[in-house]
Amino acid sequence: MSIDWITVIAQIANFLLLVWLLKRFLYRPILDGIDAREAEISRRMAEAGEAQKKAEASENGYRNLKTQLLTEQDAVIKRALAESEQERDALLADARAKLEQEQKDWHRHLERERTRFISQLQRSGSETLLELTRKALLDLADETLEEAIVRHLATRLRPLAKDLAHAAGSAKEAVVTTRDPLPEAARQKMESELRLLLPDCSLRFTTDSAQSPGLVLRVGGAQVAWTVDSYIDEFDARLDEHLAARSSGRA
Amino acid sequence: MQLTPDDIILLRIWGFPLNATIVNTWIIMALLVGISMIVTRNLRADVPPNRWRTALEVIVQSIQTQIEEITRKSARHVMYFAGTLFLFIALSNLLLVVPGFLPPTASLSTTAALAFSVLVAVPLFGIASGGLVRYLRRYIEPSAIMLPFNIIGEFSRGISLAIRLYGNVMSGAVIAAILLSVAPFFFPVVMNMLGLLTGLIQAYIFSILATVYISSATAESESSGIREYSIPHQSHPPRSGEEQR
Repeated sequence: MSIDWITVIAQIANFLLLVWLLKRFLYRPILDGIDAREAEISRRMAEAGEAQKKAEASENGYRNLKTQLLTEQDAVIKRALAESEQERDALLADARAKLEQEQKDWHRHLERERTRFISQLQRSGSETLLELTRKALLDLADETLEEAIVRHLATRLRPLAKDLAHAAGSAKEAVVTTRDPLPEAARQKMESELRLLLPDCSLRFTTDSAQSPGLVLRVGGAQVAWTVDSYIDEFDARLDEHLAARSSGRA
Repeated sequence: MQLTPDDIILLRIWGFPLNATIVNTWIIMALLVGISMIVTRNLRADVPPNRWRTALEVIVQSIQTQIEEITRKSARHVMYFAGTLFLFIALSNLLLVVPGFLPPTASLSTTAALAFSVLVAVPLFGIASGGLVRYLRRYIEPSAIMLPFNIIGEFSRGISLAIRLYGNVMSGAVIAAILLSVAPFFFPVVMNMLGLLTGLIQAYIFSILATVYISSATAESESSGIREYSIPHQSHPPRSGEEQR
């Protein structure tokens, strides 16, 4: 065991050279490489952090925007619902009003039709009734209705002779109005009867198509009517009662 | 029996004898530098490291971590010195398994050279860290009476480093040689395997002690004489004021 001092010096030189060489080719490149890589990683991490912050900011922005849009959407939907309800109510009210108006029109129309029908029915009924009466009177008694009226009127006027003369006063003309012209026999009968009651009065015959069948005598301020108006009115009243009973029974 | 490779003269250059210690040292240096040059060329930060570079990074970072745990600060110059010590001694001891290769650390001249390097490096790092006056003041602390003892202690540390490394490596080689003559088949293999383990441990101890001495010198220079450093431990974090060597 000995120490070779030349070898010691050579080994010291070798060791110092090795320190320098390893520092040059091992430690510095490796450590610098690690530092550079760490710096690169730090830079990327920082970039990633920045990107994440931006992404979070964008996310928050979009989330706020979404919330705002949802709020606006709710408001729009509520407003649209309210407007649609108002529109629906208005349309319903309008439709209801139109319906009521149409119902009223329809009822009015029905009433008009009913009235027209009833009046037509009454008129045709009364006409038919009058025709049947005329026919029955002609067939059974060989007499016209006007002749029968004139004859019957003569018998009814005799008790009223005084009242009639009093009502005639100073009148010189008596007017007999019928709907249709009277037959000649009836005219003569009427003239002879009136001459007995009012000898000073002349008699004049007129027609009025608007008048009911029968006879109306006007002298001075007096008027004696002998028409079928009351019968027609009674016929109408009975017909109305019958129709009312039918309609209520149907309801 | 050949105890040291210093006595093996391999060649002479201009009459200057080159023994096995120097030549084997050059081989180890060539291996270390060559591998480092091959691996660390064309390094780029944006390219992922390959397996060789990763292995070197693991080694270098382990060394750096160990040294920083002792010095408690980033000390690249200490790492250049102590790391080279570790790599040189470790590779030298590992090459013990190569037949016919005599590790340079089995030479007392080599270990003495390494110990002398540490002996010189400690005051140099101390002076570089805190200045010449502050470094020299530590020899007369706590009183001037301690001056000779501190000087003796300083030199005895270097001598113990050298003897410890030489003794361990040389004893492994000697034991292997003895066992080879006694039982040439099985025991030398076992002893060589044991030699690998002790060789790595010796490299670790030598470089760690060098780091501790340097750290001690720089810490004293910086903290006015308070000796506080620690031996790194693998499983526990270093404790302040731990055992001093």
